[in-house]
Amino acid sequence: MRCGDFRESYLEDEKIFQTIFVKIWLGVLGVVLVCLPFVTSAYVMYVANLIGFAIIGAVGLNLLTGFTGQISLGHAAFVGVGGYATAIIITRLGLPFWIALPLAGLVAAAVGMVIGIPSLRVKGLYLCIATLAAQFIFEYVFVHWESMTHGIRGINVPPPRIGSFVFDTEKSFYYITLVLVVLAVGFARNLIRTKWGRAFVAIRDRDLAAEIMGINLFRYKLAAFALSSFFAGIAGGLWVSFIKVVTPEHFPFSLSIQYLAMIIVGGLGSVLGSIFGAIFMTLVPELLNILTGVAKYFFPGMDQLFIPMKEVIFGVMIVSFLIFEPHGLAEIWHRIKNFFSLWPFSY
Amino acid sequence: MKGRGLGSLILVILLMLAVGVPAMAQNEIKIGAVQPITGRFAFAGVNINAGLEDALMMANEDGGINGKKIKYIMEDGQYQLDVATAAFKRIMSRDNPLVMYGESTGLGKAMSPEIKDRYKILYSSTSFSGELADAANNPYVFVPGPTYADMMGILLKYIAKEKPGAKVAFFYSDTEFGKDPIPFAREMCKTLKLDLVAEEVAQVGAVDVTSQVLDLKRKAPDFVIFQGFVVDPIATVIKQCRDFGMKCKFMGTFWGASKMVADNLGPLAEGYMAVNPYMYWWNDDVPMIQKIKAYSKKVYPNVAYRDNSYMQGFMTGLLFVECLKKADKAGQLNGEGLVKALQSIKDFDSGGLSAPLTIKNNKFPVARVWQVNTQKKIFEPVSDWMTLE
Repeated sequence: MRCGDFRESYLEDEKIFQTIFVKIWLGVLGVVLVCLPFVTSAYVMYVANLIGFAIIGAVGLNLLTGFTGQISLGHAAFVGVGGYATAIIITRLGLPFWIALPLAGLVAAAVGMVIGIPSLRVKGLYLCIATLAAQFIFEYVFVHWESMTHGIRGINVPPPRIGSFVFDTEKSFYYITLVLVVLAVGFARNLIRTKWGRAFVAIRDRDLAAEIMGINLFRYKLAAFALSSFFAGIAGGLWVSFIKVVTPEHFPFSLSIQYLAMIIVGGLGSVLGSIFGAIFMTLVPELLNILTGVAKYFFPGMDQLFIPMKEVIFGVMIVSFLIFEPHGLAEIWHRIKNFFSLWPFSY
Repeated sequence: MKGRGLGSLILVILLMLAVGVPAMAQNEIKIGAVQPITGRFAFAGVNINAGLEDALMMANEDGGINGKKIKYIMEDGQYQLDVATAAFKRIMSRDNPLVMYGESTGLGKAMSPEIKDRYKILYSSTSFSGELADAANNPYVFVPGPTYADMMGILLKYIAKEKPGAKVAFFYSDTEFGKDPIPFAREMCKTLKLDLVAEEVAQVGAVDVTSQVLDLKRKAPDFVIFQGFVVDPIATVIKQCRDFGMKCKFMGTFWGASKMVADNLGPLAEGYMAVNPYMYWWNDDVPMIQKIKAYSKKVYPNVAYRDNSYMQGFMTGLLFVECLKKADKAGQLNGEGLVKALQSIKDFDSGGLSAPLTIKNNKFPVARVWQVNTQKKIFEPVSDWMTLE
């Protein structure tokens, strides 16, 4: 019986799959995720897709904010750039989705690098405001660059296809999302174990010290912005191909805040935290919807009181998380896991 | 312990949901709706929802759809595209209704490819946008009245009749809502030989409109038409124009025809006109208004007034019921049957709530012009029903 988790080298410390059990459970999770569309409704699949896009976006933002310590309030703008780039590449250049999506990621990354340049001179709240500007600049561009974005009317995006198979339902699109989420999470999880990941963390903890140690701030800060925007761009491209239309309304400032809330609730500086945060922020409003639906059933005629109430509940939940578990959902998960991994001998 | 208590409460509620909801009756027709009950459009959303629900429940009292009862399923979309899309999909996959109602222009545009190719359901919404009335591209989607362009057209026709060759100015917001009818209205000015002297653009809720007002003063229009605002900055513009001694008349489209605007303007509302395709709550001689009031007294004893947005929802409900009845009679209670029923609507009698309605390119381009009576604080008609050809 296991009564502890002993590691004898740094290499073991850095392992992603610490024990055989992790592999087994991940395998089970994988099977469940692959089988999910066969047992659930289109609505559940719709939410699952949204969670997938949120995970990719949140992991990206966590690389920038959680690992490198550069706060960004312009994440929705990068999601938007990715979304518009995908739509424009598909409809104007006639390229298939499979090429358009990575290209859109690269476009978003390039834009992210430009927006990231001020990060070399300004930090903290000042950087916040600088990235906030990006949000408003791009909202303006989406609305007013009519020849390219079709203004407020937006662009209709054809669904992805392979040969004659069209990914136009929630269930079929889910598999595209699933594969990309696995790739994105796997990449991020591995990246933080490399020289690059350690450089990011060093910059976050003290950028001056990092520079003295020989870390090129210019290169790594911009790389963090580029990576984060690439993830955002992919999330945006997926999202617009999924809903088949892109308009400026899809990328409001509140979306940037929502991404930031995801990584804070989930856990800053943790890939797993981004996943939990994305799930929480997408799922809880939907669950509250169901709850208000039930409440409506038991107290008919009280809709007008219950429906706005769910916003209040959601707000209270986020505040309580921040107070009772500042390290986020990832930390709660960690505690639960530790409890069970040593159970029943927890000492 | 506290956490466990909450957890078990949620579990109990979910179990109740699973067990407690009674089995659906076979003879039931479902109508779904995503309404802006919260968010910045809630002031109208609550009314629109009440109107739509009342129309459907009144139809149920009168025997339903040839004996089949209507079930109304509503969810809040918060006037946010992502929330509304999720609610739309949730209703579609859970309840699979025959008819859907949406909360915004954006939702209609986002869902219209799927409404046409996948869901095949009759759809209408809170929006009067011209883009959602296009029978060739989307036969399932209709506007329950004139589009904004039609409303502007009706106002311009009224102006051309009252004062041929008048000088006109447009004052619109920098939003889709504001810009939607402008290209059509420009053309309309040319055909009616009206002199379009100015086009002013302002933000919704703008506080400083001095430069626009000064420009208006220079161009001295006889009529100024607002489009794309709900309340602000209409009052500010009128006040400043009056301060400059301008005598021009001000006009608005559907949202400018709300009692809220008249109340907000107060004495400035003198001579203010607006176009509205439906009768008002105070038009007691209209049979349908009497019916609505009687029903309202029974179900909501505390409600003393319903604005024109309620009438919009109500009219949509009447049209849904009419289409469902026709489709059911034809034995084709599905998307295709509903589209056929919609296209066959001719001289539909809404109990006086509007003119006899005839569909034209998935909209009903008829309305009348109303003027504020500042003593009674109500709108009174100054024209008969006008149809835009």
